[in-house]
Amino acid sequence: MERNSNDVRGLLSRMPDNTAFKQQRLPAWRSHLTAWAVLPGFFTTGAFFLGMGILLILSAKSVKEIEITYTSMCSNCAKLRENASNFYKECTCSVPFFIPEKMPGNVYMYYKLHNFYQNLRRYTISRNNRQLLGEDITNVENCAPFQRDSNGIPIAPCGAIANSMFNDTILLSYYPHSSTRINVPLLSSGITWWTDKHIKFQNPRSNNLPSAFTGTTKPPYWRKPVYQLDPENPENNGFLNNDFIVWMRVAALPTFKKLYRRIHRTGPFANGLPAGNYSFDIAYNFPVTVFKGEKGVVLSTVTWSGGSNLFLGIAYLTTGAVMWLAAFSMTAVHLKMKKRNIVSES
Amino acid sequence: MALCTKKRPPEEERRARANDREYNEKFQYASNCIKTSKYNIVTFLPVNLFEQFQEVANTYFLFLLILQLIPQISSLSWFTTIVPLVLVLTITAVKDATDDYFRHKSDNQVNNRQSQVLISGILQQEQWMNVRVGDIIKLENNQFVAADLLLLSSSEPHGLCYIETAELDGETNMKVRQAIPVTSELGDINKLAKFDGEVICEPPNNKLDKFSGTLYWKENKFPLSNQNMLLRGCVLRNTEWCFGLVIFAGPDTKLMQNSGRTKFKRTSIDRLMNTLVLWIFGFLVCMGVILAIGNAIWEYEVGVRFQVYLPWDEAVDSAFFSGFLSFWSYIIILNTVVPISLYVSVEVIRLGHSYFINWDKKMYCMKKRTPAEARTTTLNEELGQVEYIFSDKTGTLTQNIMIFNKCSIYGRSYGDVFDVLGHKAELGERPEPIDFSFNPLADKKFLFWDPSLLEAVKVGDPHTHEFFRLLSLCHTVMSEEKNEGELYYKAQSPDEGALVTAARNFGFVFRSRTPKTITVHEMGKAITYQLLAILDFNNIRKRMSVIVRNSEGKIRLYCKGADTILLERLHPSNHELLNTTTDHLNEYAGDGLRTLVLAYKDLEEDYYEEWAERRLRASLAQDSREDRLASVYDEVENDMMLLGATAIEDKLQQGVPETIALLTLANIKIWVLTGDKQETAVNIGYSCKMLTDDMTEVFIVTGHTVLEVREELRKAREKMMESSRTVGNGFSYQEKLSSSKLTSVLEAIAGEYALVINGHSLAHALEADMELEFLETACACKAVICCRVTPLQKAQVVELVKKYKKAVTLAIGDGANDVSMIKTAHIGVGISGQEGIQAVLASDYSFSQFKFLQRLLLVHGRWSYLRMCKFLCYFFYKNFAFTMVHFWFGFFCGFSAQTVYDQYFITLYNIVYTSLPVLAMGVFDQDVPEQRSMEYPKLYEPGQLNLLFNKREFFICIAQGIYTSVLMFFIPYGVFAEATRDDGTQLADYQSFAVTVATSLVIVVSVQIGLDTGYWTAINHFFIWGSLAVYFAILFAMHSKGLFEMFPNQFRFVGNAQNTLAQPTVWFTIVLTTVVCIMPVVAFRFLKLDLKPELSDTVRYTQLVRKKQKAQHRCMRRVGRTGSRRSGYAFSHQEGFGELIMSGKNMRLSSLALSSFTTRSSSSWIETLRRKKSDSASSPSGGADKPLKG
Repeated sequence: MERNSNDVRGLLSRMPDNTAFKQQRLPAWRSHLTAWAVLPGFFTTGAFFLGMGILLILSAKSVKEIEITYTSMCSNCAKLRENASNFYKECTCSVPFFIPEKMPGNVYMYYKLHNFYQNLRRYTISRNNRQLLGEDITNVENCAPFQRDSNGIPIAPCGAIANSMFNDTILLSYYPHSSTRINVPLLSSGITWWTDKHIKFQNPRSNNLPSAFTGTTKPPYWRKPVYQLDPENPENNGFLNNDFIVWMRVAALPTFKKLYRRIHRTGPFANGLPAGNYSFDIAYNFPVTVFKGEKGVVLSTVTWSGGSNLFLGIAYLTTGAVMWLAAFSMTAVHLKMKKRNIVSES
Repeated sequence: MALCTKKRPPEEERRARANDREYNEKFQYASNCIKTSKYNIVTFLPVNLFEQFQEVANTYFLFLLILQLIPQISSLSWFTTIVPLVLVLTITAVKDATDDYFRHKSDNQVNNRQSQVLISGILQQEQWMNVRVGDIIKLENNQFVAADLLLLSSSEPHGLCYIETAELDGETNMKVRQAIPVTSELGDINKLAKFDGEVICEPPNNKLDKFSGTLYWKENKFPLSNQNMLLRGCVLRNTEWCFGLVIFAGPDTKLMQNSGRTKFKRTSIDRLMNTLVLWIFGFLVCMGVILAIGNAIWEYEVGVRFQVYLPWDEAVDSAFFSGFLSFWSYIIILNTVVPISLYVSVEVIRLGHSYFINWDKKMYCMKKRTPAEARTTTLNEELGQVEYIFSDKTGTLTQNIMIFNKCSIYGRSYGDVFDVLGHKAELGERPEPIDFSFNPLADKKFLFWDPSLLEAVKVGDPHTHEFFRLLSLCHTVMSEEKNEGELYYKAQSPDEGALVTAARNFGFVFRSRTPKTITVHEMGKAITYQLLAILDFNNIRKRMSVIVRNSEGKIRLYCKGADTILLERLHPSNHELLNTTTDHLNEYAGDGLRTLVLAYKDLEEDYYEEWAERRLRASLAQDSREDRLASVYDEVENDMMLLGATAIEDKLQQGVPETIALLTLANIKIWVLTGDKQETAVNIGYSCKMLTDDMTEVFIVTGHTVLEVREELRKAREKMMESSRTVGNGFSYQEKLSSSKLTSVLEAIAGEYALVINGHSLAHALEADMELEFLETACACKAVICCRVTPLQKAQVVELVKKYKKAVTLAIGDGANDVSMIKTAHIGVGISGQEGIQAVLASDYSFSQFKFLQRLLLVHGRWSYLRMCKFLCYFFYKNFAFTMVHFWFGFFCGFSAQTVYDQYFITLYNIVYTSLPVLAMGVFDQDVPEQRSMEYPKLYEPGQLNLLFNKREFFICIAQGIYTSVLMFFIPYGVFAEATRDDGTQLADYQSFAVTVATSLVIVVSVQIGLDTGYWTAINHFFIWGSLAVYFAILFAMHSKGLFEMFPNQFRFVGNAQNTLAQPTVWFTIVLTTVVCIMPVVAFRFLKLDLKPELSDTVRYTQLVRKKQKAQHRCMRRVGRTGSRRSGYAFSHQEGFGELIMSGKNMRLSSLALSSFTTRSSSSWIETLRRKKSDSASSPSGGADKPLKG
């Protein structure tokens, strides 16, 4: 008896389990590319894309945008900046322009750099987030080649990104009449991500910002130390300076625009920028011609899908059209094959 | 275990002295411990790591890791490589460790087998591994021989002992070994303990049939030969016990010397994969060079000016050097085109498939309680590409059980059993077998279903009685009766055993014999016949006869033999009976039964006396004794009266004909390679429907010389071509033949042919100048049977096909003689559940029934191949899509080796985000249900033609990957170039771009795997959706505040996910990218389904074709038999036993009537046996009865 039960156990133990998993009989859905799934799928997706394409194009068209490249317009200044010895010389440049149509709603002012490679590998890693968190102000690890000045004093903020910060100042003036000039009120707040402003960048904890940065020096290309970036608004200084934060979020492509200011919607600008004559008054500090770059200013409104972006709309429209074309030809082929099959079967 | 590993210088000669361990230890011969394992606990880690780093891939990744540690070129953190590398090394190490553990276990099991060793005069139980050279060990009946022994003495007279060498050479008939006379008297332990002979012999070698040595004992020299040796792996049979002196032990035994090192087998996909990986490396270097040149130019044109903002590294002094560095940086970045996880994933998938094979209930044999086992886990997909199967016969196709199945007695056929449907019923379905209880001496294991035969016996039909009397008298079986009524027959061939047992059950019980008498219980009555002569069997005569005198004094000759021979020697009066019997014979032969014709002849006293006189003279003749004897025999075996015929079923394994038919339909060619005789092999060819009467012709090549063989092959080819020429598709064959290409016209010939080739002819056919001719001829035939082949020839045939046909070969066998071919073939399959395990140990897959082969190939193999191909296609696709984005980005980032993605994404992409769905597909995917792949064997074809993954498919995948990468980069590029966020802030920052591209990539490859997955189980769902979920979870976690605050410099993307993925523009981009990437694939696949559907597609969609195919299937199953006259004669018998019996040498003295013992021709029988052996051993073309050759 004993042996028998052992035998049975032995028999069972060697016998594979009869489970769906082990016998490869798991319940499963077998996917088929049937005409009933594919063709309607193509038609509906195509329709969706066509619809979205039109919608996107319309909304992109509704965006008002003006772009002015001022490198050539301010060629004097550009030339001046090519020589490093003129570092502390001021150079201003006024660029008049005309807005043909009213720019309704929120208007944003961007600076645009051409041919500026913020995405070089060694550039993008040349920063120290721990320093920027204000935790360890003298931590300049990873910041090569801008870690310390010639005296060995750590740079704050260190690194190539911070050092190359865009430092032109651009003012916008409105000329309702040829003689009247109104400075368009600009806001430097709200141009950063909340997470950047509140998590990624922190000033060193101290009552007095300048003293917090003692033991460090300003980046070599900067005119002022980091705690004096915005003389008007003491809150907007140190690592929490909005322009600094915007600059530190490096661009993906060598031509990029970064948000510079928002138009403060007060007074005559409550509903946006009215059509008319304007001018940019630019303190030209940032040299770009040395590397064959260009600078520009962009004024733009936004819609639900962001700024002007015709590419997306056109791409959607094209894709939708191609899908419909494909769907029609596939239907034709399918019907033909079906007929042939029926013929051959009969 | 340490003992096993000892290394010794090569031996010149071997000396072993019996019972003198001290003396023998001087030579440090290997002990009987065998070791197949590779590691032990201490050596595991270093040895295993060393082995792993011999893999090119692993070394390559190590190299990459070192590159990444150089700061100037480190474009990625070191952990992107080390994490996968460590993972890979660990997984492989664990696998190797488990494998080795099982090897240790099996070694231990063999090493711990018990054997009785004579130590200091006492027999002691010892483990096999403790047996030393020079020990004397005792073997008992049915035991495995533990080492190579010199036979000293045995329980049988004259130091004889019987062994079965199936393990070694696959021959199933028993062989005789004899101790040299001086030692054969050493029967008891005391004498043996005093034995101190010394053997000096050849060093260990792998020649199974040769041994030369000398025994020095008592100042005398005795030559030793193979005839005195018992080799490890043999089984002692019909011998109660024997003693042997250990000459070679453990690794030195001929068996182990023959087993050799297992060659590491690689699949063709492996090889293709390696080639492709090399190409990809080449591609990688090209990309690197292009980007490096780009970098040099960029630095020269732009970068040198941009130095204001980003000065060059201190080490970099020129644009050229920067380009050089950037080359290495790009190599690091782009290395993900050949991800390290590829190799691991492939292994995991194969492991999964292996488990499915192990778990398959339909490949589990209830009777033998053996599940199928995938012993090698690296060959699975090759199972789906097999084109040639080389099968052993005995034990593989047949069970090596002979069954008395039918007989024809005086024109009446007995033994047909019909079930309700009129089919010959399978064993299980048959009605009750007939009851032999009337006969107390009946063998209970004998079954017969036709009651009419028993009726005939009981009624006393004289012909039937004579029929069984013949069977009980005319044979060379020895009987043994341990207790009253418990009869054991020692048959030299299973055929004979079956016949004598049949007679026994039908009331004609062969009870005992002496050299001069045979005692038979006829229907309960003991009758002793006087045995006057045994006219022995041999291959030329193909018959044997006995001449007996019955109790009434009448002399009668009983003869059984091949129909072709015997039917010509009948008395003319048998004409009518002959016709009916011939019909029956044809019927039996058509069923694949082995037939013998039985006849008798009454002899006059005077005639006999005169004949006996002549026979005596012939047997005493000095020259050409054999010829003279033969002619004397011929003379008497004439004008015989036909009694009937027997039909013995060489019991096939279950489902063999069906399996062969199915595999043939799947375009797999089956060659039978057997050590058995031509007749037997052909017979089995018919019974398992490899050969049919429908075949145009069966060519038989039996030439003994090179010229003959060449001529025969040439004729065969000519015939085949002639017939196809008459079919007439008039292009010149000669022209094509002369072309060197082997895919010759012969492949396309009309008509079905088969080739049967004998071992000695094969030896010539395999010579370098003829092998192509042979192969061409053989491949043109639908079936090929090679008989009398040696183990080495088996391997050569496989090698030949491997070499020239570039086809995947599979060898299946059960015995040690199949080991060489199992190891040579791409895939070796061992039949398990038998006594021997040599074949199984050497095999890659093992199961216990030949019929499981169809499931292994058509279901598991097919699926494995399909899954592996789909897996590889997808894998290369996803990695190209992933990696090439960097290439395009290079043009926009000054070729600075900036990555598009976050480094964590790069680390995790292959091992987390995209690994499991494709693994699930690789493990679980099914295109058609398993039943369908059996119903439509043609579904197997894509694998054979290598259609699913080849260089073309690879390039398509790569192209698709590159296409995807282009869209993956340029669509976001187009969008980001201008766009801003809906709150007016910048959208086109690097981190948002990275997140957008990464997210679209993960979604696109997930959708793609969804498209590729044909069989969505819950697991697939879980993995695919899970991967997406995990991607987003990890994304948000990596971009979270907590991680950033802990490691601000490592997790720089803080807040990115929530900011980026909240933008509608980003989602529009992702949707657009996904649709544009996937849409062409769907459209293409849909059109392909419509315009050029594969069979598997058709099977999936329509059931219409199914009926047609089924009809065809059934048609194939029908037994095709026409009335062609064909001999079903086959008999696995060896010559010389008749003489042995008549000499009385093999009979125990106790059972002998000593008085009647005559010493006539007393020692010639063993001479005959020996001569036969040496004949075959000396020349393989001698073609005697032993295909044994190293």
